[in-house]
Amino acid sequence: MIQVPSLSDFNLQYTLPALSIVVWAAALLIIDLFIPRERKQTTAWLAAGGLVFAFVVNAFLFNVNDEAFLGMFRADQFTAYLNAVVLGAAFIGVLMSVDYIKRIGIERGEYYVLLLFSVAGMMFMAAANDLIAVFVALELLSIPLYVLSAFRAPDTKSEESGLKYFILGAFASAFLVYGAALIYGATGTTNIPAIFAAVSGIEIGGSASILLLIGSGLMLVGLGFKVAAVPFHMWTPDVYEGAPTPITAFMSVGAKVGGFAAMFRILASALPTFILMDASLHAAWQTTVWILAAATLILGNLVAISQSNVKRMLAYSSIAHAGYILMAVAAAGTAGVADAAARAALFYLLAYMFTNLGAFAIAIALEKDDGSGTNISDFTGLAKSRPGLAAMMAFFMLSLTGFPPTAGFVAKFLIFQQTLDAGLVPLAIIGVLTSVISGYYYLNIVVKMFLGDGEGDPAEGATPHLRWAAYACFAGTLILFVLPVLGTDIASSVHLATALIP
Amino acid sequence: MEATGLSLLTVILFLPLVGMTIILFIPGDQGRNIRYTALGFSVVTFALSLVMWASFDPNVAGLQMVQRWDWMPTFGISYYVGVDGISLLLIVLTAFIMPIAILVSMASHIFQERGREKWYYLFLMVLEWAMLGAFMIQDLIVFYIFFEITLVPMYFLIGIWGAENRVYAAVKFFLYTLAGSVLMLLAILYVGNQAGTFAIPEIVSMVHSGALTFPFDGLFSTQSYLFLGFFIAFAIKVPLWPFHSWLPDAHVQAPTAGSVILAGVLLKLGTYGMIRVLLPIFPEATVAWAPIVAVLAIIGIIYGAWVCYAQDDAKKLVAYSSVSHMGFIVLGIFALNGQGIQGSILQMVNHGVSTGGLFLIVGMLYERRHTKKLADYGGIWKALPVFGAISLVITLSSMGLPGLNGFIGEFTILLGTFGSEVLGFFFALFATLGIILAAVYMLYMFQKVFMGELDKEENKHLPDMNWMEYAALIPVLVGVFLIGLYPALFFAPMNTTVMELAAQVGHFVTTVAQAVP
Amino acid sequence: MVQTEMYILLSAILFVLGVMGVLFRRNAIIVFMSVELMLNATNLALAAFARHWGMESGHLFAFFVITVAAAEVAVGLALIVAIFRTKHSINIDELHQMQG
Repeated sequence: MIQVPSLSDFNLQYTLPALSIVVWAAALLIIDLFIPRERKQTTAWLAAGGLVFAFVVNAFLFNVNDEAFLGMFRADQFTAYLNAVVLGAAFIGVLMSVDYIKRIGIERGEYYVLLLFSVAGMMFMAAANDLIAVFVALELLSIPLYVLSAFRAPDTKSEESGLKYFILGAFASAFLVYGAALIYGATGTTNIPAIFAAVSGIEIGGSASILLLIGSGLMLVGLGFKVAAVPFHMWTPDVYEGAPTPITAFMSVGAKVGGFAAMFRILASALPTFILMDASLHAAWQTTVWILAAATLILGNLVAISQSNVKRMLAYSSIAHAGYILMAVAAAGTAGVADAAARAALFYLLAYMFTNLGAFAIAIALEKDDGSGTNISDFTGLAKSRPGLAAMMAFFMLSLTGFPPTAGFVAKFLIFQQTLDAGLVPLAIIGVLTSVISGYYYLNIVVKMFLGDGEGDPAEGATPHLRWAAYACFAGTLILFVLPVLGTDIASSVHLATALIP
Repeated sequence: MEATGLSLLTVILFLPLVGMTIILFIPGDQGRNIRYTALGFSVVTFALSLVMWASFDPNVAGLQMVQRWDWMPTFGISYYVGVDGISLLLIVLTAFIMPIAILVSMASHIFQERGREKWYYLFLMVLEWAMLGAFMIQDLIVFYIFFEITLVPMYFLIGIWGAENRVYAAVKFFLYTLAGSVLMLLAILYVGNQAGTFAIPEIVSMVHSGALTFPFDGLFSTQSYLFLGFFIAFAIKVPLWPFHSWLPDAHVQAPTAGSVILAGVLLKLGTYGMIRVLLPIFPEATVAWAPIVAVLAIIGIIYGAWVCYAQDDAKKLVAYSSVSHMGFIVLGIFALNGQGIQGSILQMVNHGVSTGGLFLIVGMLYERRHTKKLADYGGIWKALPVFGAISLVITLSSMGLPGLNGFIGEFTILLGTFGSEVLGFFFALFATLGIILAAVYMLYMFQKVFMGELDKEENKHLPDMNWMEYAALIPVLVGVFLIGLYPALFFAPMNTTVMELAAQVGHFVTTVAQAVP
Repeated sequence: MVQTEMYILLSAILFVLGVMGVLFRRNAIIVFMSVELMLNATNLALAAFARHWGMESGHLFAFFVITVAAAEVAVGLALIVAIFRTKHSINIDELHQMQG
C-alpha cells in the first residue's frame, strides 16, 4: 500500500521564502505584460517587494530545524542564513540594475523575472537535502543566469558570455548529475541523511566504495565549475566581462552561495565518514579539496594581477575568493571542525556579498552606456572627481584584501582560524600569502584613484539608486567589522554534521 | 580592576576618531578650521595622556585603567584596553608627537601643490587613533587590527603628499609590512585556538602557570615557529637588518609629518610588540633565539651607521641612522634583563623625540630650499642662528651626548647587554662601536649643513622661523633636556612592570640553557 | 538478466563519449548534443541502479533529468540562434571577443 501523504506533511511553511519567490516570479511574468514600456521600473519595485517579503518570512525561520517536502528540503539555520545572503544580494542587484538597464537600453520586464527565478534556485539549493533537489535547484539557478548573461544581445560580447556560460554550465551539470547517479548506485538512496547512514556501512575497497569515490569526485567537478574553482574556472573571466555588470555582480555572489551550499551539504553532511583508510580523522575528500583550494588561491590571485579590465580583475578575484571558501570546505573534512568551518564560510559569504556587490556598484557607476569605461585605467583620479565613490571603492578593496577595519578581515580570520584548527597549516600559509598578493592588485585600483594624475571620471552612472546600493554595501562591510556578532550569532546553531547522526 | 564607566584610556583612544568625524563634516575649502580642529584634538589628547600618567600607579606591575568589552565572545576576542609600565610612555610619546606633526604640516607648503588638505588631517587623526590603539589594546586580534590599520593612513600620507617616487614607496611600504604581518595573524590564531582566549594577560598567566604550553625543543620547534611568526612581523616594522629596505624609501618619499610619525612612533610598534608578546608568551624560544636576534641587531647598528656616510641626501641619512638606533633598542630587549628592557623603552622615547626632531629639521630646511642634498647647504647656522642652535642640540642628543636624552638610553642598554646572561661582553663591545660611528656621521651631517662658509647665494636669505615651527621644535627641546637631566621621572613608572617581566623571562634563561646546549 | 555492471559500463562509455564530444568538437550544436549524451548516460545509469536497488527514486531522478534537459535545450538553442544571427557562425572557436 502506498501511503498518500497529506498536504500538512510537506511542511510547506518552511520553504515559504523560496516558494513565494517562485510564485511571485511566475505572477510577475503575467503582470509585466500590463505594465507599459516606459514604466518598466514598476516591475523592478514589484520584484524587490517580493524579495523583501521573502526576507521577512525567512527571518522567522532562523530557529527552525526540520525537513520539508518529505525530506527533499531541509529548513535549518544554514538554509535561512544563505537565503538571507541571496535575498540581500538580489535586492542590491535590483537596485543596481534599475537605472543601468534603462540607460544601456535593455529594460525589459523579463530581466527581473529571470533574476527572481535564479534567486529561487539559489534558495532551493541552500535548502536541498536530496541529490535530486540539488540537481533541479542547480538548474533553476543556472538557466536564468545563462539568459541574463546574454541579455545585452545583440551585443556580441554579451551573447558570447551567455553561450560560453551555457555550454560549460551544462557540461558541469552533466558531471554533477552523473556523480549523483553513481552515489545513488553506491548507497541506494539520494537522500543526504540516508547517504550519511549508508556510507558507514560501505566496505573499504569494495565496488561500492569505488562508485562512491568516483561519484563524489564527479560531483565535486560539477560544483567546482559553479563556484569557479581552479581548474574549472576558465569560463569565469569571459562570462563576467560579457554579462551586464549587475548580473555579473549578482552571479558572483549568488552562484557561489548555491555551489558552496551544495558542497557543504554533500561533503560535510553526507560524506563526512567517507574514509578510505581506517582510523583517520580526515574525510577522504579532504586532500582533494585542499589541493583545489590551494590551486584556486594561487592561480586566481596571480592571474588577477595582470588584468586591465576591472570586470575581469573582479572575475579572477572571485575565483580567488572561491579559494578562501574552499579552505573552509577543506577544514570541514576534519572531524569536529565541520560546523565551525561551515559557520566561517557563511560569514565569509555574507561579508563577500556586501563587499563584492559594492565594488561592482562603483564599477557600474563608471561604465558608459556603450559598455566601455570598465578598464582599471578609467579609475585614474576618481578621488578628485568623486571622492565619496573613491573612498568607498578603496574601502571595498581593503575588504577584498582582508584588511581591517572591514568585514573582509573578520571573514578571512574566521576562515584561517578554522583551517588552523583543522590542522591544515600549509593551506593556511598559502591563504595568507596569497592575500598579500591580492593586496597588490586591489591596491592598484586605490593607487589609480588616489595617487594617479588625472581629472577623474565624472562617473555619470552613479544614479541615486546605484548610490543607495553602494551605501548599503559600505554600511554592511563596516558594520560587520564593528559588530561581527551580527553575522556570527545568527549562525551559532548551524549544525551540518551532528544534526544528521542517526 | 574593572572600571564601571568609561576608562580614561577609552576616552583618549577615541578622541582622535571624534576629531576625524568632525573634520569629515567640515567643507574642504575651510583649511583653517580643519587645521585647528586637528591641532586642538591632538593637544587635548596629549593633555589627557599626561593626566593618565599622573593617575598611573607606578607600584603596580599589572594593567591599570582597564576596560573590557566583548567583541566576538564566542572566540574570546574583546576590546580590552589597559596601560602598564611598558605602554605608558609610548602612549604619551604618541600623543606628544602628533601635535608636533600637525604643527609642522601647518607650516608646510605641500598643500599648495597637492591640495586635499582635509584628507591629510583626516588621515593624521586616523593614524593617531590606530597608533594609540596598538599601544593600549591587550587582545592579540584587536592588537593586530590596530597594528594593520596604521598602514592605511600612512600609505595615503606617503602616496598623496610624498616626493617624486611616492607611489612606489607607498606601495612598497604597504605590501612589505603586510607580508610580514600576515604570518603573525596565523601565529595569533594558533595561540588563540590553544588558549581559548586572545587576551594577552590571560595567555601570559596561563603560560607562566603551566596551564598552556607551546612545545619547545630548540630553535626549530612549535614554539619557535610561533615566535618567528610574530618576530618577522615586528622585525619588519622596527626595521631590523635585513628587513629594513622599505624604510629609506618610505622616509625619503614621505612628507615631513609622515617621517616624524614614522620614525617617532610607528617603528616603535615593532619593538613594543616584542616586549609585549614575544618575551612573556614565548619565553623559551625568546631565550633560544636571543643571541641570533642580537647579532642581527648589531649588524643593523653598524650597517646603519656605515651606510650613513655614503648618503648625500639628508633624509636618507636620518633614515639609516634610524636603522642603527632601532638596532640598539632590539639589542636591549633581547638582553632579557631589567636594565636592558628599561633602557630599550626609554630609548624608544628618546629615538622618537630625537629622530623625530631631526626629521623636523630636515623638513624645515626642505621647506626653505626645496632640496635634501647635503651639498646644497653649508653655513646655515649663520643664516638662521636660532635654528642652528636648536639643530645642534637635537643632533647631539641623537649622538648620545651625556646630559641629553640619548645618552641615558644607550648607556642603560649597554649596561644591560654587558650584564646579560644570554649576550654579554662582546655584544656590548660591538654596540659601543655603533655609538662611536653615530657620533661621526651625525657630526658629519651637522658640519655639512650648518658649519662652514655661507658660500651659496640662495642660502643667504632664508626666511626666519615662524611661530608654528617654534611651537613644533620647542617641545622637542624640552623632551631632550627633561629626559637627559631627570631620567628617574621616566624610569619610575616602568620599573615595577619591567622587573616582573624580567624575572619571568629570567627564570627561563637557566632552564633553556640546560635544555639547549 | 543482464547484470547491472554491464549497464553501468555502457553508461560510462556513453558519458566519456559525451565528454570527448564537448572537448573536441567545435560546432556548438554538436557540443550541445554531446552534453545531452552525457545526460542520457546518466539516465541509463539511474535506471540501472534503480532496478538494482529495487527502489523507484532512481526512476524519479531520471524523469527530472529528462525534464531539465528539455529546459536546457530550449534556452541553449535560443542562445545559439541568437549568436548565429549576429555572427553567422556557431563555431565556438570564433567566440573570442574577450581575451586576457
